[in-house]
Amino acid sequence: MSDMALPATPNQPRLSLAGHWVSQILLPVAFAAVVLGLWEGLVRWYQVPEVILPPPSVIGARIVSAWPFLLQHSLPTAIEATVGFLIAAAFGIVLSVVLVYSRWAYVALYPNVVFFQLIPKIALAPLFIVWLGIGSSSRLAFSVFIAFFPVVISTLTGLNSTPPDMLRLCKALTAKSWQVFLSVRFPYALPHIFSGLKVAVTFAIIGVIVGEFITAQAGLGYLVLFASSQAETPLILAAIAMLCVVGLVLYGIVAGAERLILKRYGH
Amino acid sequence: MISLRGVRKTYASPAGPVEAVAGVSFDIKEGEFVSILGPSGCGKSTLLMMLAGLEHASAGTIEVAGEPLTGPRRDAGLVFQDATLLPWLSARDNVLFPIKMMRLEREKYVARAEELLRSVGLGDFMDKRPRELSGGMRQRVALCRSLIHEPSIMLMDEPFSALDAITRDEMALVLLDLWARHRKTGVFITHSIREAVLLSDRVLVMTRRPAVVVADVAIPFARPRDESIQDTPEFNAIVAQLRGMIEHSIKAAA
Ligand SMILES: Nc1ncnc2c1ncn2[C@@H]1O[C@H](COP(=O)(O)OP(=O)(O)OP(=O)(O)O)[C@@H](O)[C@H]1O
Ligand SMILES: [Mg+2]
Repeated sequence: MSDMALPATPNQPRLSLAGHWVSQILLPVAFAAVVLGLWEGLVRWYQVPEVILPPPSVIGARIVSAWPFLLQHSLPTAIEATVGFLIAAAFGIVLSVVLVYSRWAYVALYPNVVFFQLIPKIALAPLFIVWLGIGSSSRLAFSVFIAFFPVVISTLTGLNSTPPDMLRLCKALTAKSWQVFLSVRFPYALPHIFSGLKVAVTFAIIGVIVGEFITAQAGLGYLVLFASSQAETPLILAAIAMLCVVGLVLYGIVAGAERLILKRYGH
Repeated sequence: MISLRGVRKTYASPAGPVEAVAGVSFDIKEGEFVSILGPSGCGKSTLLMMLAGLEHASAGTIEVAGEPLTGPRRDAGLVFQDATLLPWLSARDNVLFPIKMMRLEREKYVARAEELLRSVGLGDFMDKRPRELSGGMRQRVALCRSLIHEPSIMLMDEPFSALDAITRDEMALVLLDLWARHRKTGVFITHSIREAVLLSDRVLVMTRRPAVVVADVAIPFARPRDESIQDTPEFNAIVAQLRGMIEHSIKAAA
């Protein structure tokens, strides 16, 4: 599972504390700049056709020229991904709680959850179009469908991670199970839940994009498909750059919420 | 008084039934501190869980003050090998945790929690979270937590086993002092013979699984005690006697 927002682990090389922020930000930015520079230089040197690979400067220019257009298509993608993520998160957490508290539901459902987790869910996208049409509801449903499993799996792991002695103590104190849930099990699960949510938010975006590829009405996925049908490679890459921004912003919001909450409930 | 009569516990496992405790009978008097010594895996924790009402005996009876024990008893204070504190709560709130779980009024117990923490030398650490405390400090918080709801019995399962030797000796004295103040009935599981003799009125020796009690040794030192009794010949004689019994019981079972 993704742990990208965890603080540097001890076995990573330590950078001196004074240069910490500078190096943490400057170094990756400098590296990216070098890669972009090389890209620009090589593409120009070898005169690679723009249709194959335009240089970054051309993509940048395309972003500027197509800005209103890009923005107009980013909005539905961002909104659908956000709503899909929120529904998947709520639904996934609630289902996990049901599975943890109902032995019967657990036995009946958990193996099926694992089964769905393992199959390539992308392949089911066309079915959602068949069932729900080409409107946003089918994209939303598909996005929920693929974002939901990582939430369930990680929430279940989290809810089962309470030390057994802690549960014994609660039982000895005749705590009600809602008390144990609110005061012990759920807070213990939070770090796991957030690692699931961070995966889910990227999955939610993938779900929407795949939906847009198929339904082809609006959104960045549609734009990528449209631009490729016109062999407009700079526009494809401009749309992908927008997609990266949307993804980073959504991920950043979840990671930020994680930081805030784990400050209080972290271990 | 707590009376155990012919108490057995058999767990079901995939490899067939596992008999953990095989017919144990003894009494614990009000205010008595009893230690239980026995080889690893012999069923000591199982016995303690039965005393807490968290496991049912497969056979036999456990009576508390003449009443059969049928479910979890709220008047027990539990201490485990790991402190099992909630990482996001301060030392004070961890001590008050049982009050919350028992749905009692927090305000009535705050002063008691602080008093308990001060009595184990944590007066300056009440607002610290577990990760800011050392292992010994965390276990002191756990001891305070077990006493907050004024239980009538403390049930301790190897509470100092995860600590280093020096901290461990220190903790035994903290417990000796705490027990002298509160005078609860105490059941203390340990692998350390010296710890058992220092703290207890009686030491029970159990055999290998399935466990039975093979010896019940009274420890005659007067209370209040302090660490100096550990240097007396009587102390060392009892330790040697118990060590002999344990070695004998292990050989006999093998
Ligand atoms: N819930 C359980 N289900 C099945 N077997 C169990 C269960 N709990 C304990 N046992 C088995 O019962 C035996 C006694 O376990 P117990 O934990 O009571 O021993 P112990 O004396 O406390 O050991 P240790 O000194 O290692 O703490 C062991 O063989 C253990 O594997
Ligand atoms: Mg044990």
